[in-house]
Amino acid sequence: MSFAYPGALILFLPLAGVVVALYLLRMRRRELRVPATFLWPAQTEEVRANALFQRLKPSWLLFLQLLALALAVFCLARPQTRQRGLAGEVTVFVLDSSASMGATDVLPSRFAEAKRLAREAILSARAGDRMALVEAGPVPRVVFPLGNDPARQIAALDALEGTDADADVGEAMRLATAVVSGQDGARVVLLSDGDFAPIQNFSQGKAAVVYQNVGKGGTNLGIEALGVTDTPKGRLLFAGLRNYGGQPWETTLTLYADGKAVDSLKLKVAAHSTQGHTVAAPPGARLYEARIDPKDVLKADDYAAVSADPAASLRVLKVGGEDPFLERALALDPRVTLDRAATLPPDGGAGYDIVAFDGVPSQPTKSRGVLILGKAGPDAPVRVDGAAKRPKFSGSETAPLMKGVDLDGVYIDEIERVSPKGSAEALARSSAGPLVVADRTPIRRTVYLAFAPLQSDFPLQVGFPIFVANALDFLGGTAGGGPLVVAAGKPFSVPVAQGEPTLIDPDGTKTTLKPAGGAATIREARRVGKYELEVDGKRRTVIATLQTPRESNIAPVTQIALRDQPVRSLAAPLRFGDFWRPLATLCLLVLGFEWWLYAKRS
Amino acid sequence: MDLLLEPRAFRLLEGLRIAPRKSQPGRVRGERLTRRAGLSIEFADYRDYAEGDDLRHLDWNVLARLDSPVMRTYRDEEDLAVHVLLDDSPSMAFGERTKGRAARDLAAAFGYVGLLGGDAVTPVRLGRREPPPAALRGRAAYGRYAAWLGREASQDAPTSLATSLRAFAGSRARPGVAIVLSDGFDPEAPNALRALVGRGHEVWCVQILSELDLDPDLEGDLRLVDGEGGKPTDITANSGVLKAYRENLARHNAALADAAKRGGGRYALVRTDDKLEDFVRDTLKREGWVR
Repeated sequence: MSFAYPGALILFLPLAGVVVALYLLRMRRRELRVPATFLWPAQTEEVRANALFQRLKPSWLLFLQLLALALAVFCLARPQTRQRGLAGEVTVFVLDSSASMGATDVLPSRFAEAKRLAREAILSARAGDRMALVEAGPVPRVVFPLGNDPARQIAALDALEGTDADADVGEAMRLATAVVSGQDGARVVLLSDGDFAPIQNFSQGKAAVVYQNVGKGGTNLGIEALGVTDTPKGRLLFAGLRNYGGQPWETTLTLYADGKAVDSLKLKVAAHSTQGHTVAAPPGARLYEARIDPKDVLKADDYAAVSADPAASLRVLKVGGEDPFLERALALDPRVTLDRAATLPPDGGAGYDIVAFDGVPSQPTKSRGVLILGKAGPDAPVRVDGAAKRPKFSGSETAPLMKGVDLDGVYIDEIERVSPKGSAEALARSSAGPLVVADRTPIRRTVYLAFAPLQSDFPLQVGFPIFVANALDFLGGTAGGGPLVVAAGKPFSVPVAQGEPTLIDPDGTKTTLKPAGGAATIREARRVGKYELEVDGKRRTVIATLQTPRESNIAPVTQIALRDQPVRSLAAPLRFGDFWRPLATLCLLVLGFEWWLYAKRS
Repeated sequence: MDLLLEPRAFRLLEGLRIAPRKSQPGRVRGERLTRRAGLSIEFADYRDYAEGDDLRHLDWNVLARLDSPVMRTYRDEEDLAVHVLLDDSPSMAFGERTKGRAARDLAAAFGYVGLLGGDAVTPVRLGRREPPPAALRGRAAYGRYAAWLGREASQDAPTSLATSLRAFAGSRARPGVAIVLSDGFDPEAPNALRALVGRGHEVWCVQILSELDLDPDLEGDLRLVDGEGGKPTDITANSGVLKAYRENLARHNAALADAAKRGGGRYALVRTDDKLEDFVRDTLKREGWVR
């Protein structure tokens, strides 16, 4: 046994001294005149003290008061015993719901095992223990906040489902530490297999981090890559398989074009290696799929799909400083694969469909689309005439780029005073000149915004993600009506003209989506498979795939790194179990008995 | 003039006479028969004639039949000494209706009955150094009797109940009925009553107690200051102490009753809130204190 605050024990001496001193004081009794005193027995009970000292007499009341005081001081010192268990007094569980947690090396799955551990901890919580649960999914969220309501917590835990997505465990851990911010003795328990991106920018504060590994290990063979490319010899389809296990693995790879099998062959993949297969693909197909059946412990990476529509996939390079608003708006487009760079690479962005200059002067690029936000360079479709402070919005053209975008009332601190060059066209104007300029040439399309988003409250407006989506459509071209291939669990948005879109899961469950600002954000495609999306009366296939090799590498990680600090998995971490509550209860009982005795005697 | 009693009480007391359990020697001719031979019409006995006897009492029928002179004797009639001993000690000042007030009303009732019966009623104030007045007789004396009762007591230093009783017992007061109207709150009161009995008095002890005396509602740590000037007592008024008090009171009351009854006297406990009518009906008449 130990004490959290042993210094509190010293309080007993002065407080006991006060209690004893009160007993040393002689009672000043209330005087009452009666007809005669000879009938009254001279019986007194020293139940309270007053002035002037007297000899200390043995008293049950004194003994009980000292006992209650001792118990109270003992409680203040917070006696503790060392126990084993995941949960502490204040615990936040971070439950990894990524694709790798769907591995069945632990039956029924790693995710189910993690839920079982969390459930046991909740059920073993003592009175006063508070727990919260954060789901480390593609979008981390608090499943239930800090509290002590086991029934509701278990219900919320049971309703939790795994995903086939790449989880943002780092953000989940930051969220968890925020939940217990500043609380002494808090504990963040990560229930995971450790297969996630290294966690940077993490500060655990006062909280202790406990990592509980839930994987045992197992072999996995997954589709690492699937791509289609048009070559002078025709369209080629490439599939790459990776064996993450220590033994060679043989499986059958089947390739499909618009749902029809175009090739099937047995492939033997050596241990810890990748093996590719290229095949001539039917040129007219819009969707290519690959499927393997390795009978391994992870199913999510046994299927992959790729769209042949060039606009169905946009590689975007954002050049400039950090801008979470712009990055989030870009990532909402299911076609976008986003990369970030502080400056334009020397190759001029070759290989990217769109380059976005965010708050930095634009430069000549080799991409087919350029988004300039705030600072026009020499290659921009505008001529810079100066700068202006706090312009007033004056109006905008009716153009697809400005559809659903309202700049009226947007606060802009400063804009570039520009005039369009050549074929460039101003689509929105202010008192200080054009706000939005679009240019379309045979080799490149350009959208220019006369202010950096972070110099305005435009990113906080509903119109901002719509403007970015419109710009992507203008710069990259509108995707055809073919299947939409998205990363499982990653939110994406689709434009909605009217009504409420619906999403039908692979298992037939229908979900109605609530559109906002002319678009609906879809977060429900968390499992790999084919979904049907009904928007504006038209049905479109959405295919969710894993799209990240990291989740395929299911080897459990026994030591994770939090901001370069190693955290080792513990089977059952130690905790200090407080037992001041029963002592406090006992103290109350003693006080109650003391009061009863006092009342009886007085 | 304050007659102390209400007209209804006077009507209630009309016709009642104090009924002592034993005969007391009289000083003047009164309306009560004595054991001594006297001149009333109540036949007592026969005796032989002696020279000088009043021939009016010679039984002529016996003389004619037996030829022997026999004298008829008759019981004498004397007055009864009724001493109304009214406790005026400080302890009688307690109670919502004070014990002193209740005692004064009872003293008025006893005195009225005694005066109407032709008894020699002497009011005595206990607890004060005050000489008693001369005995009063007859209905006409009630006014003076009431005036004496209604008069303020002397402001001399009070004496204890037992001291006052012993002083009365040691006085030359004629033995008679000594009606003690007091709360009896003196540990020596039973012994003092025995002293009265020893002097030939028939002691009628009417103990008057208030609600505070019978069921004190005290709480907490107290220093009890004696109303009679006795030693203060520190108590913690809990259930045990209150129970002990009630037991002590019961023992003390029993000792008073025993001391009064031992000499053929009477004892009654009266609460200050009891009505005079009830006391007259339930105690005086039913138990034969009066007839």
